[in-house]
Amino acid sequence: MATPAPKPASTPAPGARVTEIEIGALSKTFGRGAQAFRALSDVSVSINRGEFFTLLGPSGCGKTTLLRLIAGFEQPSGGTLRIGGREVAGLGPNQRPVNTVFQNYALFPHMSVAENIGFGLRMQRRPAAERRETVDRMLRLVRMEAMADRRPTQISGGQQQRVALARALAPQPRVLLLDEPLSALDLKLRKEMQSELKRLQLETGITFVFVTHDQEEALTMSDRVAVMSEGRILQTGTPEEIYNRPADRFVADFIGDTNFLDAVVQDITATHAVVRLPGGARLAANLPAGGGTAAGATVTVVIRPEHARLVGDSADGPADEGAVLSGQVERSVFFGTDTHVHLRLSDGTPFVVRRQNTAAATPPPEIGREVSVALAGGAVQVLRN
Amino acid sequence: MAIKQTSAATPAAVPERHGHKWLLSAPALIILILAASGPLLIVLVYSFLTPGNFGGVVWRFSTEAWFRVFFSRDIFDPEVVSLNHAHLAIFWRSVSLALQTTVICAILGFPTAWFIATRPQHTRAFWLFLITIPFWTNLLIRTFAIQEVIRNQGLINTTLMRLGLTDAPIQMMYTDFAILVGMAYVFLPLMVLPLYAAMDKLDIRLIEAGYDLYASRWQVLRRIVLPLVKPGFVAGSILVFIPSIGAFVTPRVLGGGRNMMLGNLIELQFGQGRNWPLGAALAMTMLVLVVGALIFYIRYVGRTEDAGREHG
Ligand SMILES: Nc1ncnc2c1ncn2[C@@H]1O[C@H](COP(=O)(O)OP(=O)(O)O)[C@@H](O)[C@H]1O
Ligand SMILES: [Mg+2]
Repeated sequence: MATPAPKPASTPAPGARVTEIEIGALSKTFGRGAQAFRALSDVSVSINRGEFFTLLGPSGCGKTTLLRLIAGFEQPSGGTLRIGGREVAGLGPNQRPVNTVFQNYALFPHMSVAENIGFGLRMQRRPAAERRETVDRMLRLVRMEAMADRRPTQISGGQQQRVALARALAPQPRVLLLDEPLSALDLKLRKEMQSELKRLQLETGITFVFVTHDQEEALTMSDRVAVMSEGRILQTGTPEEIYNRPADRFVADFIGDTNFLDAVVQDITATHAVVRLPGGARLAANLPAGGGTAAGATVTVVIRPEHARLVGDSADGPADEGAVLSGQVERSVFFGTDTHVHLRLSDGTPFVVRRQNTAAATPPPEIGREVSVALAGGAVQVLRN
Repeated sequence: MAIKQTSAATPAAVPERHGHKWLLSAPALIILILAASGPLLIVLVYSFLTPGNFGGVVWRFSTEAWFRVFFSRDIFDPEVVSLNHAHLAIFWRSVSLALQTTVICAILGFPTAWFIATRPQHTRAFWLFLITIPFWTNLLIRTFAIQEVIRNQGLINTTLMRLGLTDAPIQMMYTDFAILVGMAYVFLPLMVLPLYAAMDKLDIRLIEAGYDLYASRWQVLRRIVLPLVKPGFVAGSILVFIPSIGAFVTPRVLGGGRNMMLGNLIELQFGQGRNWPLGAALAMTMLVLVVGALIFYIRYVGRTEDAGREHG
């Protein structure tokens, strides 16, 4: 019940990685018999101390289930779960050095803001003076000093959000779990809270496990992201790795806009391959971790629209250097900072090129024009089959 | 402080012109006046009249009935006055038994309502249905059923004696215990239903948040569940207390003639006692007791405002 006060996560020496959460082959099945539903299968991941780690995936992929297993609200059907080096199977939520920020905040309606924030400390039987001091510090941290005596029903959604954060941070857990905490907020408030969350995470040094279905949110906030689908983790990596080097069709498709092309592997090394694109151009491409292809195989490659350029399109680019694909313009869509030019390649595959709308940019090519496409170095990524 | 904060948070209510909207509530007002105030007024008037020889009232003003509620006169010398201890004892018994019934119903009702509220959604209607079954049967029959269970040759005593646990039957009939059992049984659903309604609204995530913040089961119950279902307790207590204090079938059947409650005393005046004004005055006294108890309860116990506050 009265958990030994978890040590405030000590800032690890620069470069030193300490594992905070170690998840091994974790699975969770709800119901039994014909009703059985496997919400998580064979999930393995380790989360480092002080990291902002994000679980990203579409609704229903098992993000909340994984979070609830870590928090202790559900018990796993199989696998191991260690927090701070200790196996936590069988420990209840009140015995784990982990706190949760709930999706709907779940603030206690019969307590004031200050009482909500102090609840965890009170249950831990911390001395009154320490409680008061911590609650004041938390109120300042989330800029809610003026609202200390209000009830949750008397403050706005964004303010409730901050109180929920302060309440979960007050007992100084090793790990903070956040289940889509920003999804109920409007866009502007959401942007504000994103940077606020990031600031809090850096200031407290606590490990954050953050759940979202919003890829932009995941990319901008996280140190590392795990992309989930149908109860599995498909890829784990930094936002750059996930975005630039997707290992999987689902990951590539879920995050950002992507062009998929069929290509044939011509030559292969440990990390790179030479592939032949439709139209005959031969290019170096990155292989996914684990490789898994051989020379002669047909693979899918991805190319991000902003890694492609229309040849001879802008004043600063070389005239027709490095053209590898060609096609016909079908339409252009204006997005403000950029314009998406939709092409149909000579073999019929759709392809999108993103064109930066700089001050000097010329109007996009008119519909029906034949254009050539050049690619930035390292733009081609081979997917796992 | 709380008040100041409230007014700061909610914009001052803008007074609205309602025009003749009150006309819409006229049917309700008429029913309230005819059905509630009318009979009350008659009872009040009767309490200030003189009793007729064979029941009924004689239309002559008198405060004797009200005097007799609290005082009694010496048989030989009407000028010698003393407190009416018999009446005061019955008032006290009634309040005390009604309070005990309310507490018993609350203690039994909480786990019952919790059990129903935690069943899967589609089975709850079934459990609620079971709770309401006793309402289908006449109160008198239900009371006699209890008598069958607790009388000297009843279910409990014969079982105990068969098992050799006692030699002689335990006297349960015609005691306050019997009255309490009967009233708790009869009024329990009135506690369970509002409690269930309050629990049904309780967000399960608040309980999870409690556990997440290191609360034990007991602390979750005390700090989160109880304060949040308090409105259910308040409503249930009122629903149980009011019929309990005026109950007369249950004390009559299970308590026998000796253990009178207010309801029996009032009934007596209109029946064998043939003193309608005294019965009316006693009925008004009971009304004052109930309203007084309610006001006290709502002011000091039922206040949800400060529930769960950190005191000191
Ligand atoms: N208690 C439960 N019983 C049965 N199925 C559940 C339960 N909780 C979640 N699921 C199922 O598990 C899947 C994953 O749910 P969840 O983890 O909530 O997804 P996410 O948070 O990614 O949207 C869903 O298909 C959901 O219906
Ligand atoms: Mg979810």
